[in-house]
Amino acid sequence: MPRTVLAAFRFQAALAWRTPDTLSVFVTAPLFTVVFLALSQFAGRTDLATHAVLAPCLMSLWAVALFLAGDLIGNERSWGTLEGLVATPVSFPLLVTARITTVTVLGLLTFAESWLVAAGLFGIVLDVAHPLVFGAGMLLSALAMAGTATSLSAVFVLTPSARTVQNTLSYPIYLLSGVMVPISFLPDWVQPLSRLVFLSWSGDLLRTSLDPAPTGNVLPELGAVALLGVAGYLLGAALTRRFVRRARELGNLSHT
Amino acid sequence: MNAVEIRGLTRTFPGKRKGAPPVRALREVDLAVPEGTVHGLLGPNGAGKTTLCRVLSTVLLPTAGTASVLGHDVVTATAAVKRSIGIVFGGDKGLYGRLNARQNLRFWAAMYGLSGRGLGSRVDRLLDRVGLTDRADHRVDTYSRGMKQRLHLARGLVADPRVLILDEPTSGMDPVAAHEFRDLVAGLRADGRTVLLTTHDMVEAEAVCDRVTLIDRGGVLASGEPATIGRLISHYERIEVDAMPEGLVDAVRAVPGVISTSTTGISTLIETENGAATAEVLGLLVAAGATSLRTGRPSLEEVYLRLVGGRGMVVG
Repeated sequence: MPRTVLAAFRFQAALAWRTPDTLSVFVTAPLFTVVFLALSQFAGRTDLATHAVLAPCLMSLWAVALFLAGDLIGNERSWGTLEGLVATPVSFPLLVTARITTVTVLGLLTFAESWLVAAGLFGIVLDVAHPLVFGAGMLLSALAMAGTATSLSAVFVLTPSARTVQNTLSYPIYLLSGVMVPISFLPDWVQPLSRLVFLSWSGDLLRTSLDPAPTGNVLPELGAVALLGVAGYLLGAALTRRFVRRARELGNLSHT
Repeated sequence: MNAVEIRGLTRTFPGKRKGAPPVRALREVDLAVPEGTVHGLLGPNGAGKTTLCRVLSTVLLPTAGTASVLGHDVVTATAAVKRSIGIVFGGDKGLYGRLNARQNLRFWAAMYGLSGRGLGSRVDRLLDRVGLTDRADHRVDTYSRGMKQRLHLARGLVADPRVLILDEPTSGMDPVAAHEFRDLVAGLRADGRTVLLTTHDMVEAEAVCDRVTLIDRGGVLASGEPATIGRLISHYERIEVDAMPEGLVDAVRAVPGVISTSTTGISTLIETENGAATAEVLGLLVAAGATSLRTGRPSLEEVYLRLVGGRGMVVG
């Protein structure tokens, strides 16, 4: 299994390199950083700098995974490679997740961009006060994103108007997960829903890791990110298997 | 042991429009392919050849009947089937055009569990075998159709499968490459591999197949060895002569054992029921100065045209 994952990683990285729109977040993340930092400075809320630098990274994670999840199976089908993949011994859901993980891990690099923008343009140098928590939070967030995106990938391919669903899943999630606006600013009845989105826990965890104050016990946050990510993967794997079974019945794994 | 065994295989697709009747792509097909042989599936477009290949490669479920590969059922033992077969669906699609040939093959090899040095050397050998070494690092979407077809072949061989399913493997190949393909198939047979291939090319089928099956409208019309399948449309030996000398027709018809003569354009076809009659007719023709003569049983192409040729360009 690790070899399959490694091969999928290498393959998806090569494909992403040849498909620049997959990695458009590397262009948008610095721009979002400028917008958020400028707004927080204008409002005199320099205490929100951590939010402003982390938000573009978490948004990029979601965007890059959503983009690939929405197109992955559809592209394979239109390239005529889906049948070949399903005919190989490898687990198809695992392959989908491994490929999405590739782009989410690459998406983490947008944090470096945001950090550099904050330091270079605004003179704000964020220290990673708790590197272990930060590293674990970043890695778990990327994996949880891949797990969640696996279920989205299956939903998209099973939904007739997938593109519409895909397009409506960006900004509502950014708001709901407290990435753009702190969850405490949201209406009371929305706040419990926020906790069902792993990004809300990821945001808390990463902000804690950048705060010089002692972290306290971060295991609940780490556990919540992991749990929601695994739940997303299991749901996605079940839905993907159902899609493959249905497509084998209907004979529409390919367009021919 | 049969590498491929099919019993009463039926596959029905739902009608494409609402209320349209279902389409039967395969109807109660029986087929057995012994291990280590090359078997050709011949038939016009829409005959059901590709559907059969898809069922065998587990990407399509049968509606009824059973199919197994090396004893593994394609429905209940898909994992074992997948490990045993290599597939070439062919055509312009089925490859990652934005990647190069080496990246494509490395990925597909990894999907079959290959890794490390074994993977690298296998990919290099295959690229060399299909003549793509010099273009291995070029993007596949810059390849000609024939080059893509070669890459498809390499992809099918990447896992060193015991059973290889080739759907129109030489489509788009130039004659030299197609000839090399025949050598490659002969090599696979010599290695003990089983090959099931679909083709429209009768010369190719006669050259590489141990047995062929003619299929049309989802059903099997005939099965047999290419050299003897001609008996399906004629039990007689035949002599074909161009520009038959005048006045010789009656003499030929008078030879004991001559069954019939017929003339189309400049070509005259004489059917005989035994070798002695054939020898006597040939003697007459040569003595009369005929120089363009052919003898033998009906070719595979004639059988094909006789059995399915009445459909013209109608598909399905």
